[in-house]
Amino acid sequence: MAEIRLAKLAHSYGNGTNALKPLDMTWRDGGTYALLGPSGCGKSTMLNIISGLLKPSEGRVLFDGQDVTDKDTGARNIAQVFQVPVIYRSMTVGENLAFPLVCRRVPTPRIKARVEAIAERLGLSRHLNSRAVALTADQKQLISLGRGLVREDVSAVLLDEPLTVIDPQMKFELRKILKDINREFRLTMVLVTHDQNEALTFADTVVVMNHGEVIQAGTPQELFERPATTHVGTFIGSPAMNFLPAVREGDRVLVPGAGLSRTAPADLPTTDLTLAFRPEHAVAGGPLAGTVTRIWFEGADQVLALSVGDASLRIRAVAGAETVGAIVRFDVPQDCLRLYHQGRLVA
Amino acid sequence: MKTLYLALKYLAIALWSAFVVFPFLWALTTSFKSANGVTGGATWIPWVQYEPSLQGWQSLFGGVGGINVVKPFYNSLVVTLSASVISITLGTLAAYALSRFTFRFLWMRNSDITFFFISQRIMPPIVLAIPFFLMLRSLGLLDSLPGLILVYVALLMPIAVWVMVDFFNGVPRGLDEMAWMDGCNPIITFWRVILPNALPGLVVAGMFCIIFGWNDFFFAFTLTFTETQLLPVAIVSLNSSVTPWWSLSAAALVSIAPLVVLAFVVERFLSKGGLAGAVR
Ligand SMILES: Nc1ncnc2c1ncn2[C@@H]1O[C@H](COP(=O)(O)OP(=O)(O)OP(=O)(O)O)[C@@H](O)[C@H]1O
Ligand SMILES: [Mg+2]
Repeated sequence: MAEIRLAKLAHSYGNGTNALKPLDMTWRDGGTYALLGPSGCGKSTMLNIISGLLKPSEGRVLFDGQDVTDKDTGARNIAQVFQVPVIYRSMTVGENLAFPLVCRRVPTPRIKARVEAIAERLGLSRHLNSRAVALTADQKQLISLGRGLVREDVSAVLLDEPLTVIDPQMKFELRKILKDINREFRLTMVLVTHDQNEALTFADTVVVMNHGEVIQAGTPQELFERPATTHVGTFIGSPAMNFLPAVREGDRVLVPGAGLSRTAPADLPTTDLTLAFRPEHAVAGGPLAGTVTRIWFEGADQVLALSVGDASLRIRAVAGAETVGAIVRFDVPQDCLRLYHQGRLVA
Repeated sequence: MKTLYLALKYLAIALWSAFVVFPFLWALTTSFKSANGVTGGATWIPWVQYEPSLQGWQSLFGGVGGINVVKPFYNSLVVTLSASVISITLGTLAAYALSRFTFRFLWMRNSDITFFFISQRIMPPIVLAIPFFLMLRSLGLLDSLPGLILVYVALLMPIAVWVMVDFFNGVPRGLDEMAWMDGCNPIITFWRVILPNALPGLVVAGMFCIIFGWNDFFFAFTLTFTETQLLPVAIVSLNSSVTPWWSLSAAALVSIAPLVVLAFVVERFLSKGGLAGAVR
């Protein structure tokens, strides 16, 4: 268990690919983090640098204030779970789980107790003596995880898209196990994922990356309510945030023809402005009106696509009797309207 | 349709088996024939109709005008097995290093070094005969088992390296990384994690080494005189102006026996799924 700090960290691969741009970041001890971002944005690169599989081309990695940049993977005491389960084929499940302790010369009785406890926790007790190859993909992934957990003093558990090859049904189970384990063992956990649901439900801090940069790090709530860029707003939340081109008129910013407006901060430029709000933040009834162009049924809710003036946007509403072509009245509270200039949050 | 297919399949297998088995059958019957039996020909049924004689087999075990095959057989066994074990051990270590770590020697990179190993087998053996002879002479190892083992290691190790580099390249690197993360040093990683995954490769490499080592005649012939004789050389010394087919057949069977046993063992291993799914 450790606090992990990345200081002025940057990495480019030998072939010139600039995978990580210089960044500073701290992973709190015992925190759960989700790394979210499109393919190729440098998520795996960051994890591999933390675990020591990759040496950063610039900057330092610190565990609890101690510089570990030049230390080997083994000395850092990190557990990493990859997309494809990695298991030792020639060993049984029990031997797989015991291996990290065997390598670290832990006394045998201690190993036995530890392996049994972890197997119990992960629901692998029945399989301890089976050959690891014979298990299903999700059980193999649990073995990978278990090999990290048997070490009581593991600095952090890094999970690089561990649920991609798992059945959707098992995914839910595994996610729950991960969450429970984090609570029980107070481990620092970093989960890389493409799935925003996974990120938002698992982590207390979500880190959104793009093109080798950290764009925003915050609680799921913050990410949802105040996306730092239009990219984050589009990436997180379903349906995506509404982004409407806006203009400045005096001390107000408004969407022409739609009736949406808010006060403008003093030094706001006049071009390249966007007003945005979450479909979830629209409330029924009010001064705004739009024609329903499409309806998505979502159980108790429905998502309505509206055309308001020249703009089209989506709102989430209680399931009701609206039909395509009907006029719907709604409002967006002032404190839920976000203002972006050149794609970056202004207010 | 299905029956026809099955019938054709069994016919094909039967034909192929006959093709493979007949030389053995031929050698086996010939080894029990006398000169008359070999040249006379049969009236009705070949391979059965002849006067059996133990002359061929006797000449292999110290009979009149023959040799004693026991000592050369033992020598061949010792040389082949020792050289194979040494080559596999060294070759596997070298192959793992070449597959996992980056080396640079002058202008040569990993793939060049690997090719350098293999290139040792591209030269015709005759090129090596004189250097080997001189080297063994200066070491005082001519005509001795250790000398032969040394030379055979030089011949077999390239094969082991070649086979094993390929095999290790097929074992995912993620496995090494996981082992490091679990706190293994490179030696334990190799021994406990990677090697078990490369077991089928070891079997293949071992098989090649044993076959090449066992069958070599050239170096066994050029680097020994009278003290140390390997089986292929001993068998050749059976020959005379009148070819003793019976002794040669018996000798052929004796020299082939270990390889047949090896083939059965390896076949067992393969059919038990030793190769299947060795690598994820
Ligand atoms: N070994 C490598 N050599 C050169 N370039 C690499 C290497 N590994 C990754 N890259 C490049 O670095 C960038 C970041 O890769 P990285 O694997 O960190 O992305 P990622 O966010 O994990 O993507 P994914 O979601 O697909 O796993 C990519 O542009 C990728 O092409
Ligand atoms: Mg990745």
